[in-house]
Order: sequence, then C-alpha cells, then structure tokens
Amino acid sequence: MIRGVLRRNAGWVWVSPWIVGLTVFFLIPMAMSLYYSLTDYNMLEAPLRVGLSNYASILRDELFWKAVRNTLVYAGVSIPLTALVSMAIAGLLDVDTRLSGVVRLFVFTPTVVPLVAAAMIWMWLFNSDAGLINAGLGAVGIQGPNWLQQQGWAMAALILMNLWSVGQAVVIYLGALQDIPETLYEAGELDGMGPIRRFVHIALPGIAHAVVFNSIIQTITAWQVFATPFIMTEGGPNRSTYFYSHYLYDNAFLFQRMGYASALGWVQTVLIAACALVPWRFARRLWSTR
Amino acid sequence: MDSDPISAVSRAGRLTRRAAIAGLGAGAAGLLLFGPRPRGDVPPGRTVVDYWEKWTGAEGVAMRRLVDEFNAVQDRIHVRYLTIGAIDQKAMIAIAGGSPPDLVGLWNFNLPAYAEAGALMPLDDLAASAGIDPGDYASGIWPMLTHEDRLWGLISTCGSLALYLNLDALSSAGVREHERGPGPQTIEELDRLHERVFAVDAGGRVERVGFIHTDPGWWSWLWGYHFGGRLVTEDGTRATAMSPENEDAYRWVRSYPERYGVDALQQFQSGLGFYGTALHPFLTGQVATTIQGPWLANLIEAYAPGLRYRAVPMPVEASILDPSRPVGLLDGDVLSIPKGAAEPEAAFEFMLWIQDRRRLEALASAHGKSSPLVEATPGFLAGHPNRSIAVHNAVANSERVFHFPRLRVWPRYVAEFDAAVQSLWQLRTTPGVMLGGIERVAQHAIDEAAEIRRRRAAGGAL
Amino acid sequence: MRRRGSGLPLGLGFGVRVLLMVVVGIVFVLPLIWMVSTSIKPEDQAMSAGLSLLPDPPSATLDQGYENYRAVLTDETVDFPLFFRNTMIVVLLGVSGAMVSSVVVAFGLARVPMRGRRVVLLATIGTMLIPFPVIMVPLFILYSKLGWIGTTLPLYAQFFFGNAFSIFLLHQFFRNLPKELDEAAQLDGCSSFQLFWHITLPMSRTVLAVVGLLHFTYMWNDFLAPLVFLVNRDQWTVALGLQLYQSRAGQTPWSLLMAASVITVLPVLVVFVLANRMFSRGVTAGAVKG
Repeated sequence: MIRGVLRRNAGWVWVSPWIVGLTVFFLIPMAMSLYYSLTDYNMLEAPLRVGLSNYASILRDELFWKAVRNTLVYAGVSIPLTALVSMAIAGLLDVDTRLSGVVRLFVFTPTVVPLVAAAMIWMWLFNSDAGLINAGLGAVGIQGPNWLQQQGWAMAALILMNLWSVGQAVVIYLGALQDIPETLYEAGELDGMGPIRRFVHIALPGIAHAVVFNSIIQTITAWQVFATPFIMTEGGPNRSTYFYSHYLYDNAFLFQRMGYASALGWVQTVLIAACALVPWRFARRLWSTR
Repeated sequence: MDSDPISAVSRAGRLTRRAAIAGLGAGAAGLLLFGPRPRGDVPPGRTVVDYWEKWTGAEGVAMRRLVDEFNAVQDRIHVRYLTIGAIDQKAMIAIAGGSPPDLVGLWNFNLPAYAEAGALMPLDDLAASAGIDPGDYASGIWPMLTHEDRLWGLISTCGSLALYLNLDALSSAGVREHERGPGPQTIEELDRLHERVFAVDAGGRVERVGFIHTDPGWWSWLWGYHFGGRLVTEDGTRATAMSPENEDAYRWVRSYPERYGVDALQQFQSGLGFYGTALHPFLTGQVATTIQGPWLANLIEAYAPGLRYRAVPMPVEASILDPSRPVGLLDGDVLSIPKGAAEPEAAFEFMLWIQDRRRLEALASAHGKSSPLVEATPGFLAGHPNRSIAVHNAVANSERVFHFPRLRVWPRYVAEFDAAVQSLWQLRTTPGVMLGGIERVAQHAIDEAAEIRRRRAAGGAL
Repeated sequence: MRRRGSGLPLGLGFGVRVLLMVVVGIVFVLPLIWMVSTSIKPEDQAMSAGLSLLPDPPSATLDQGYENYRAVLTDETVDFPLFFRNTMIVVLLGVSGAMVSSVVVAFGLARVPMRGRRVVLLATIGTMLIPFPVIMVPLFILYSKLGWIGTTLPLYAQFFFGNAFSIFLLHQFFRNLPKELDEAAQLDGCSSFQLFWHITLPMSRTVLAVVGLLHFTYMWNDFLAPLVFLVNRDQWTVALGLQLYQSRAGQTPWSLLMAASVITVLPVLVVFVLANRMFSRGVTAGAVKG
C-alpha cells in the first residue's frame, strides 16, 4: 500500500533538486520581495513597515510615469516593428537554397552577441561624427542626426538597434512557415488566389501561434530592457530613454530604496502580465471566430 | 526517431555520455586548478585587516605600496588590499549582510547616508586619543569627514577643482595675457576668453572653443556655487536650488547653446576624443580651458608631455570675486570603519599610520592630487607631477571651498540635476523652471527621508 | 523535395528575392564586420569618418591589429585575461550544473509517475515570466546572508538545482518520446533509473547539447546578475569588464573598445558557428513545437 503510493510518486525524488531550487531561488525571494515592498528598507537598518505607502508613492511618482511611458513607447513601436520585419525576413528566407541557409545564419548571429558588446558596437555605429550609419547617410547626401544625444532620436536608435536581434523571432516564424505544407499554396494558386490572399488566408493562420508566442516573449523582454540603454544612453538625454528596469535598479542600488524598488518590481510584474495578456486574448478571439 | 526535429538535427555535434562525464570531470579539475581559492598568504599570528578600496591602476599601486610597507614595518597586523567596483553600493551590501570589511575607502559624499543609517563606526574618541588634530588639515578637509557633529572617517586623498588653461592653444588663438598673472578671474573674463578662442571651420562647424560646460560634464550641479549660490541649507533640511544666484549660473550655462545652436555644439562634442586618451579635447586644444582636478597633470604627462598648461582658480561671478578666497569644489576619499568590522582597532592603527605627512604626501603625489594637510612641504610642491598644485592647495585651504552637499538623498538630487541640465543644454527648459523642478524633487526626497528617520526613532510608530 | 517557398513575400521574382537576401545578410553582419574593422585601425583613423575596412596603409593591418589587441589585453585597469578566465569558470560550472540537474528533473517530470506534476510544470513556466529585477534585491540579501557575496557562487550555484528554461525544453523532448520505450523497459525489469541511464540519456545527446549551448550563451551574455552580485573586481566577468572598460573616467578609444568587444564576442560566436544548426532548431523546438 505505502509502497504503491511511493511508486506512484517516485517522480518527486527526481524532481526534488528543482523543488529546492524553486523554493530557495524563486519562492522565498518572491515572498521577501513582497514583504519588503510594504516597508522602508535601505539594507542597513531593519525594514520599517509602512503599509501600502510605497505603492501609493509610486502612483504619485513622476519618474515612475516617465519610465512607464518610455517603456510603453519602446514596446509599442518595437514589438509590431519586430513582428513585421521578422515575418518579412522569415518569408524571404523560407526557401531551401544554400544562400538562404547562409543568410539565416547571418540573421541569427546577432542574437548570440553579448548585449554589452552589442551596445558598444551600436554606440560606435551611431556616433554622429565618425559612425558608420551617419557616414552611410552622408554618402547619399543626408545629414544624419546625433543619434544618442538627441531627444527622440535616442529612443529611435534603441528601437532600431533592437531590430538587429530579431533572429530568434525569425527562426520561430521560419519554423512555423515550414510546417505549412506546400500543397496548400499550390491549391490556393489553382483556386486563383493572388499572393496577398495566399498570405492572408494560408500563411497567416499557419503562423498565428508563432505571432502570439513572439509577442508575449517580446513584451516580457521589452519591459525588462536594461543593459543597452544603461550603457548607451544612461537613460538620457533628459531621461528620454529611462526605462522601467533602469529606474528600479537605480532605486535599489543607487538610492538605497530597497522597499520602494521591491514595490516597483511587483507593479512591473502586474504590468507585464497585463501587457502579455493582450496578444493572448487577441489570439483567442481570433481563433474562436475562425 | 528521425522524425523528431531535434534528434534529426546535427549528427556532428553529438554528446555522448562518456563525453559528458569527461567534460564534467574536466570542469571539476579546472575548478580545482583555477577556481576560487583562499587569497593572500597571511603570516601566522597576525591580525588580518580586510581593506576595500576603489582604486585600480596606478592609483591602486600607490596605495598597495603603502599597504606592503605597513605590513613589513610591524608584525602584529596584516592588511589585505582588495579592489572593489562600485564600492559604495557593495560596501553597503556587505555591511547589511553582516560581513563587512574592516576598512573601506569611500567617497566623502557617501558619508551622510552611511552615517545616518548607522553603518559606520564613529571615530571621535579614537581620533582624539590618538592625538589627531583637525588643525593639521587643510580647512576644507574636516567638513568632508564629519556629519551631524561626529567624525566618520579620515582622509586618504583629496583634490580641488580649478580651471586649466592650455597655453599653447590660447597662444595660437592670440590669447597670451594669461600665461602669468591671475588668469581669468570672473565669468565675464572667461566668456571673453572663450569668444576670442572660438573658431569655426570653412563648413561652419565648430572647431575650437575657449570653454564649454560639458567638458568634462561630471559636475552638472556646481555652477551655482561660483555665482554665490547653494544647493542645500547648512542643516540639510531645505533644498535651495531655486535661488537668484543659481538662476544666474544656469542662465550662463544656457547662453552657450543659445549663442551657437544646440546642434552645432552637439556636433562638436560628439567629435571629441575621450578623457584618458591622447585625443582628449583639452590636450588637443579643441577645448582651450576646462574645469578639472589636479590629476589632469598625469594625463598631460602621459599623452601630451610637452604641453604648456597652468591652473587658476575657477572664475566666479564678478560681484563675489575675492582673489584671496578662491571658490572651488573639494572632493576627497575617506577611510572609514564599517559597523560590525571584526578588527576595528587594527584597522584604525593602519588609518593612523597613513595620516603621517610623508605618506599622505606620497599618496597625493602618486595620484596627482593635492595635499590634505594645511601646509605642504617644499619637497612635495617641487616633486609633484602637477606644476600648478599650489593652486589646488590654496583652494582646499580657502574658506570658500565647497563640498558635495552633505545629504543622505544626494544621489537622487544629483540624478535630477544631471537630467535637467541635459534638457537645459538642449534649450528645452529655462533655468527658473529647471531649478524649481529640481528643488521640488529634492525637497520631497529630503522630507521623505526625514519622516522615515523620525518614525524609526519613534520605534516605527505610524 | 526542395521547398519552393511559401508565397511570402507577396510573390517576388527569383532575382529580386536573391538580391533582397543578400542585402539582408549584409545588413545583419555589417555591424560585426565594422567592429572588427575598427579594432584594427589606429584611433585617429577610426575617428575620421570613412568607409574603408582596412587601416591606411593596408599593410599596417597586422601591426596595428597586434598593437590594439595587445593594448586591450595588457590594460592595467581592466584585466581581460583574468575576466575571461573568470567567465569561463562560471559558465562551465553553470552549464554543467544546469545540464545535469535539469535532465534529471525533466525526466522525472515527464516520465516518472508523480502526482502534482502540473503544478510543478506551471510553477516552472511561471518562474520564466517573473522579471529578474523583482527577485534581484531579495536574492542579494539572501546571498549575503549565505556569505556568498564576495564569491562567484551567486552566478552559478542555483543552476545546480535546475534551470527553468532547460527543464522546460528537456521536458518537451522527453514527453514526446514514444510510450513503448517505458513499457519495453518495464518488461525487461528495468527501473526508472536504468531506463533513464541506458536508454533515454543516450537518445537525448543532441537535445542536451542544445540546452547546454543555449545556457552557455545566456550565461556568457548575462550582464545584470554579475553587475548586481559580483563585488570583488578580481572576480568580474568579461561582460562587466567590457562595460568598465567603456565607462571608467579615463574613457577608452573606440578602436580599443571594438577590440575588447571582439574579445568578448569571439567565444560565443565560435561556439555558435560550430553548432549553428542545433542552435536555431533548438530555439524553434523549445518555443513552438511543445
């Protein structure tokens, strides 16, 4: 009897290391973070319980709203743009030729470049005087902007740079596209469908799940973007590229407001969940009407 | 199994169990060979003092040399020198975690936050019984070490800021009267100097400036002090960013982009080489005068050894000019003992040993900094890499020397300042609006911190 | 049969398609090429806008390149060889830890009977959605209580208890193995462990390699965790070192910065190119095929 129960639950023995890891490195820190978010805590003195006042302060905090607005602008432009670009590239590369294999490799390569190194490379490319981008623009007679020092352009630069690492999304779209049997397109062609209708009626439904997956992943990463603006613009100019995670980091480690930073973290979790739900719900609606 | 997408992938990159075990074994062996191991060989029977310091490179070498000497001349204490990145944050964490070093080299502006949180040992009694006399130090030193009437550290090195003149660049622009004498003393004179040096090339691009506020741009907040302004009251309870003096100062800052255009100046700036390289604009003469500390001499020595330069006190607004009492920021590095340190007495003994004139001067000389003592020895002045070091000493000894505001919430204050001044430099705001906004944020932070402190003192009651 | 393509993008002709592919490929590798090119130029040539790939005169390439890389590797402030070694150790430990523990946990989760498997699985996926900043502050405090601050343990220790993404990937793989395997094994009197050791493990070499590679790039590229957890400069990783190299008060010439970036990027790039097919398929498999 007991042996039976044991045998039916033998999996727990296998899973036990992860249960420890999950508890120690995720659940306990999350509980601690929740507690700290209700306190004033600077690490040196014991946490002082302040109730919900951190959360109340967040709502009145101009910098918080600025960081949220910046992050939303970044995500709002970056995610659709990435989707379009990566879909287009995936479509372009959805043939089995030697060339497409090489290009696929090239497109994926930037995603393994360390973010810090990528930041360095792009700071150099964006250099207004000697950078490759403005040199290229200059060659065709356009005076390029001072990318990273000018309000507006700095955000554009970060979004542009983010496109360099669409490789993961491209691979996922490619995988989805390649699961669509070619006979479907041929049938469509026989039915007299043009390329646009083939795309809308055959390809798009086929990659819908990939679109949802990519949007969710990118929503999460967009909310956590940190290293590139931290290094490339330090949040400037005039905080126009000051993003949420950067503000959280500053509060925790620069201003020693651990309690406030923890509260910011939980607000971030809620915001991410809310934003990630959008594509999900959208997709559900799409599927249920189909 | 070939239908499976993954196993159908590469046959070349297969991982066998044997290879995996071999890999793990190699990893373990590698760990044993290269992995973390107890550092430093401590002679037996000695008290070990762990000393965290921020300096690397030549600056670190200079301090390490003193540490080695200390370890050699006596046989009771062994100081272990460790270089730490972002030391103010990391030391705080170590103290919070209950495993602090015995001695930590902080920036002087860290002291208020550390002191108010009770993270450091007050040193008044130790210093008094060791016969440390504040009168031995330059007048600007002691205020950096104290907060709320207690002593929290002893000085290691310091440097005041002054205006550096690239005499070669000035003379090629026809400005020769500053090679000796007082140099530009007022903001107006500095502006005039700048205008005479200012040059654009054939394409209308800025080629050379006499002065520019963004080089090096490390102290966006200090201009008001050269107009007689202050950022906070003496007692640290009120932010005073919004004052007529500060407004004048930032009107002066704004006048540069107003005159030459935001884009033109940005174009100019982005073409400049970095500090610490041979292309640094002061060394190349693209920026003929710049506000800097005495350490600039080391840079000149390394990258432009023949350059003719001199330093003069940073000019002030004409109405507050008093050449006998120069105005300047004094920055300093502080040695402190964290609360909970295992060996505070031994740590203090080392601190005390460093306070010896010869050692303080040796350190200052190696770092290219000014002497923290009230009077520098002739040997120090003669042997110093910076030929204008006397100017820096004079500023440090002036009664109008100023410091980083002694505020716990200074990091928030200065973050606000940096962002706002960027905005001013792009002509997106006016000095009045900017300073009002900064003051509001700073005051809010100050009040919030005071309120929390009051509640802590009252035992956490709401 | 060779795929002709999916009809995306909108019925382009063969020539146009080839041309576009070439352009896309160039755009994606150009930043890397430019990085290498800058890294072998003298600083004054790097700073003067120009589109030449080699220094002037080109015969100086080797000398200047040697000069630049020597300068980076012997820098007295930023000890790249040391940081390189540190990163290697940390990554090696983290990757081997994550692989060993994750494969055991994932096998248990997928193939050994246990109750509550769904809860564990959901929790595992959940941890992937929690933004790191939320738990970074408590983790810090936790590690300092454990006495781990001042060591490199915070960077890899947790992976010895499993890694959510690796577990998830491996679980997907194990789950899709045919049921008959278990039955055959049971008939032969094999225990779960024997099944795992003699049959499943040998079959999962490739997926394990994928997991290891993904984790390798993840760890090599990580910036925020080392930034937050590493105290002692002698223990820094290359990513941190690169940022330090760029941001220290005595700033760094672009040519040397690019040389340092090359040094940071090279290991991942080599690993990636050697195993590129596994990489891209691994991403697809983990993401959509579940």
